[in-house]
This record gives sequence, structure tokens and C-alpha cells, in this order.
Amino acid sequence: MEMLIMPPTAFTPAKPRPFTDIEFCAWIGQALPGDRLEYHRGFLGIDTTAVISTLPEIERRRVGALASAAHRAFEAALVHLVQVRVGPDRFAYLAIARTKPRHAPVPFSQLIASEEAA
Amino acid sequence: MHPPISPADLTTLITEAAVAARRLHRKLVLPAADIDDLRQDLLIDLICRLPGFDSRRGSIGGFANIVLHNQSSRIAIRHHRQRRAQGGSVLSLDAPIEGGTEPMGCLLAETDGLAAWHGQDASEADHAALRHDLAHALGDLPDDARGLCVALGTCAIADIISRTGTSRSALYRHIALLRLDLAMRGFGARWDGLRAA
Repeated sequence: MEMLIMPPTAFTPAKPRPFTDIEFCAWIGQALPGDRLEYHRGFLGIDTTAVISTLPEIERRRVGALASAAHRAFEAALVHLVQVRVGPDRFAYLAIARTKPRHAPVPFSQLIASEEAA
Repeated sequence: MHPPISPADLTTLITEAAVAARRLHRKLVLPAADIDDLRQDLLIDLICRLPGFDSRRGSIGGFANIVLHNQSSRIAIRHHRQRRAQGGSVLSLDAPIEGGTEPMGCLLAETDGLAAWHGQDASEADHAALRHDLAHALGDLPDDARGLCVALGTCAIADIISRTGTSRSALYRHIALLRLDLAMRGFGARWDGLRAA
């Protein structure tokens, strides 16, 4: 039987469903160190800026919230943020999960007791 | 208004109710824990019917006997009807099931309980694990987010606004950020890889 070989360029993967900031944070919550997620493809600086973005307004807000969440996660030392150039003015933005920082646990009951005492 | 009952009469009522409860308990072959409930049911019914007591027609002991006898009959009829509906066996958490020695309550898992029917199916071990994870997540949160957690755990939104002077919109913005912070630490949202693909 003759095998049909499809040239790599002919194959276009289905466009993944765009996800929200809370879904991105949930991914961080469940990710193991080294797991990676492409959270945006394009030019983030332009795509999130109101006047120059070519995205529809709802989409622009979604990407903006997603980028803010990614930056927040980066500042909390939960992810590395990396971008890979995929073409002219086009990048794949990746989040790579880091080992979770371990601070001293604070029981909620103790937190409330100390707040009431203060 | 009915005259207050004397201590001697009250003692008589309590004694008669206890005797009737023991008799009924023995006849119905109920678990030991049920005797207190029976005594209480009988005594309450007796006290409710005290306004109908007429001392010219007999002693309070005689009156109590008649009332307790009637109420015992009603309880027995109700009990037999219930037992017939259950196929002739006693269904009680305190009674052992047929052929066993342990009370049924000891054999049921926490997921079989009433709380589980209402969605609270976490066991004590799950609760302990949740508290442990929450303590770690709270330890990782920034100080201001931790303060907001405490405020939300103890006050209503309106109280927080009046106490701190923050505007409602600013507070909701902080809560939205707190939601993200908690989700990053594994609380409140789930990532569905299949759905995202």
C-alpha cells in the first residue's frame, strides 16, 4: 500500500483555544519544574497596546491580562519567561515552570489570631 | 393560667415517664442509646397535656399513667409502621447490622454520610492536607495579599471598605489579583490540558 507523505509545511495544526489569565495561573499551580507553555504568539508589546494593536478589543484585553499575570508569576519566582523568534516581528512567548519557592508555612488560624491581636 | 406544678408532682411525672420509657424500650427492643430519646418524648407529651389534669378526678400519678400509656401506644404504632417499611429490621446508626457486632455508624465511610450528599465529601485526612497546603500558599503570598486574605476571612466587603477607606472597585481589583496569586499556588482553579489543546 502506498503511503501518503504530507510535506511538513502543508500541515497546519489546529489553532489552540486562547486561554485566560486565571487558566494560565492554574497551569502554573499544577505545572512541574521544566514544564513549558506558550501563552502568546505575536508581538506582545504591540498586541497589548490600545492604539496600535491589530487585535479586537476583547482579545487585546485578554492578552494584556495574560501578560500581566505572566509578569506577576515571574516576580513571584514561579516561572521563567522566554521568547522565541518565529519570524519577522513575531515571537512565541513561553512560560517555563520553576521549582516552587518554599517559604515558612503560615496557618490561616494563626494569621487571623495575629491580626486580631494587632 | 394553670397553677405551677409542685416539686413533688414534678418528681412523680419524671419517675413515671422514666418507668414508661424503660417499658417501651424493652418491648420495642431498641438500641440502648434510644432510651433517653423515648423518656424525653414521653415527658414532653405529658407536660403538654398537664393543663387537662383535674385533681378532683384522681391523683397526678394516675393521670400520668393514662397519658404515658396512650403516648407509648402511639410511639409503638409509629415504630412498627417504620420497621415494616424497612423490611422488619431496625435501621439505626447505633445498632449493629444483621450478623455484625459493630454499630452501623462505625462501618459507614465519610463519603456515605449526609455531609457527602451535600457536596462536603472531604475526609478528615483531606481537610488536614488542605490546611497544610493552604498554610504553604499563605506563606508564599506577599504581605498585602495575606492581609487581604485575613480581612476577607473575617469581615464582609462593606466592613473592609468602611474600615480601610479603600474604594469598592480598588478592593475588587485586589481580590482579582489575589485570585490569580492563589491559582498560581494551586488554589481555586484547575488547568484542563485537553480543553486548552
